[in-house]
Amino acid sequence: GFQTVQELLDTGPCGLSTEVGISKEEALEVLQVVRQECPGEAPRDAGLSRRCTALELLEQEQAQGFIITFCSALDNILGGGVQLTKITEICGAPGVGKTQLCMQLAVDVQIPECFGGLAGEAVFIDTEGSFMVDRVADIATACVQHCQLIAEAHQEEDHLKALETFSLESILSHIYYFRCRDYIELLAQVYLLPDFLSEHSKVRLVVIDGIAFPFRHDFEDLSLRTRLLNGLAQQLIIMANDHKTAIVLTNQMTTRIGQSQSTLVPALGESWGHAATIRLIFHWDNNQRLATLYKSPSQKESTIPYDVTPHGFRDVQPPAVAQNPDGTEMNPRKRPRREEEK
Amino acid sequence: MAAKKLRRAKLSPELCERLGRHQITTCQDFLCLSLLELMKVTGQSYSNVQKLLCKVSLACAPKMQTAYEMKVRRAVNPSSAFLSTSLHGLDKVLHGGVPCGSLTELTSPPGCGKTQFCIMMSVLATLPVSMGGLDGAVIYIDTESAFSAERLLEIAESRFPAYFDSEEKLFSMTRSIHLYRELTCGSVLKRIKSLEEEIISKKVKLIIIDSVASVVRKEFDPKLQGNLTERSNFLAKEASLLKYLAEEFSIPV
Repeated sequence: GFQTVQELLDTGPCGLSTEVGISKEEALEVLQVVRQECPGEAPRDAGLSRRCTALELLEQEQAQGFIITFCSALDNILGGGVQLTKITEICGAPGVGKTQLCMQLAVDVQIPECFGGLAGEAVFIDTEGSFMVDRVADIATACVQHCQLIAEAHQEEDHLKALETFSLESILSHIYYFRCRDYIELLAQVYLLPDFLSEHSKVRLVVIDGIAFPFRHDFEDLSLRTRLLNGLAQQLIIMANDHKTAIVLTNQMTTRIGQSQSTLVPALGESWGHAATIRLIFHWDNNQRLATLYKSPSQKESTIPYDVTPHGFRDVQPPAVAQNPDGTEMNPRKRPRREEEK
Repeated sequence: MAAKKLRRAKLSPELCERLGRHQITTCQDFLCLSLLELMKVTGQSYSNVQKLLCKVSLACAPKMQTAYEMKVRRAVNPSSAFLSTSLHGLDKVLHGGVPCGSLTELTSPPGCGKTQFCIMMSVLATLPVSMGGLDGAVIYIDTESAFSAERLLEIAESRFPAYFDSEEKLFSMTRSIHLYRELTCGSVLKRIKSLEEEIISKKVKLIIIDSVASVVRKEFDPKLQGNLTERSNFLAKEASLLKYLAEEFSIPV
């Protein structure tokens, strides 16, 4: 009793097979023939073609690069470094080194491929105003020196050629900096980011330093905040996948007051915890900075010590000559930066 | 930026009128809605709403600059990047002094000398650039009533006897330090909000708040329920306002 092609197609193969009394495979064939005859039918999954087999995904993941952090212990627990197409969240108390790591990553993503890097560019969205250009210049200089040492040791031609373009000016000019003062500017910027990424196709890293700061004050309506944050997280995930970039967010810590004690937990609530794929928590332990991998789909939880030196984010060195700078008030919570022996 | 009216974001007038009927007049209201709500309110299709979102976002979004441009800008006038504290050891550790354009926090147990340091920094800021100062006015928000004008004069005279040799110079220095006594959280916030115009009109080059914690501790008892969130809301609002002032005018706070 089918009158139109549309009715036939709407029934689907299972319904067709029960009504007409043919097997499901035959019903499917019938529908496919009918569909081919009518080119006017809009294909059902136009624009939703994100299916691929797990094998294709495996090949993609293996070919994918990582952004190294220059701290080999941290790279190890992350499985090679910060992954592309994933959102990594860094939480920690103030002063523990989150912005330092972000600045280090913004420099590291630009390392040329022959040195093991991605030769990409970086977008830095700053909501707290803690981006210090001079510090990035120091980190970049140290990185360039490091690559120069490698090039001298190996003496290969492509190393030397890459070094010609890998200089302080080029590193700094490929870090695109946006300063967002409140959450509306941040939302607006994230809406505009896909177009920006399409124009600058070499960007491989988007850092949002301080995702919590604009959302933690001035919000009476918590449900609006949750909705906006979820929308933000979705857009970031789409962006990470479409443009093959790594997204790094830094989050603040807040105190959760329990029955008898209070603990430090990442801010923005439980529902935000689902947004990031990989979560790193930085904390202090008696003057030593530690990083814990708290949530990751492929690596196990572990904790490693790290250090922030004048050259940037590094592994913990064996105790060198510690020179205490004169005249500073020693805050017992903070550890003085050790001068490296040159 | 967020309070920018939609009219000025280059949306068509009929659209603005239609949105206005739903009480959506600023960019903030527009961007806070989800796509479905926007489609319902504007009556447009999905792709058109996307384009509208882009237009509104362009009106609000910050400008892009590369790190290199920032460095070049700082290198052009290096002296304006820091306010020297006139203590050599401290300046060396801080890489030049108190940085302009960002917040610097000074903490210590009572009696260590924070207020004295603040008074000295006010004197330093009024000095001409050749002597390491900023040649500008100072806004001093005092919440503990600890500022003493006599002490100010004492410091100025003993530290820089060669410069402050005449009464007139002393008076002009004191005239450029504007003192505000605020004793409640609300009045501190109101004062900070009103500072933008004052900074431009009086050519202020330094803002000091002594101290942030005293008003907060007086008014918010952390043991009472709900006070913690209010307190952190207040502090975060204060911090973001101060950061905005510091960056916009490139002055130390």
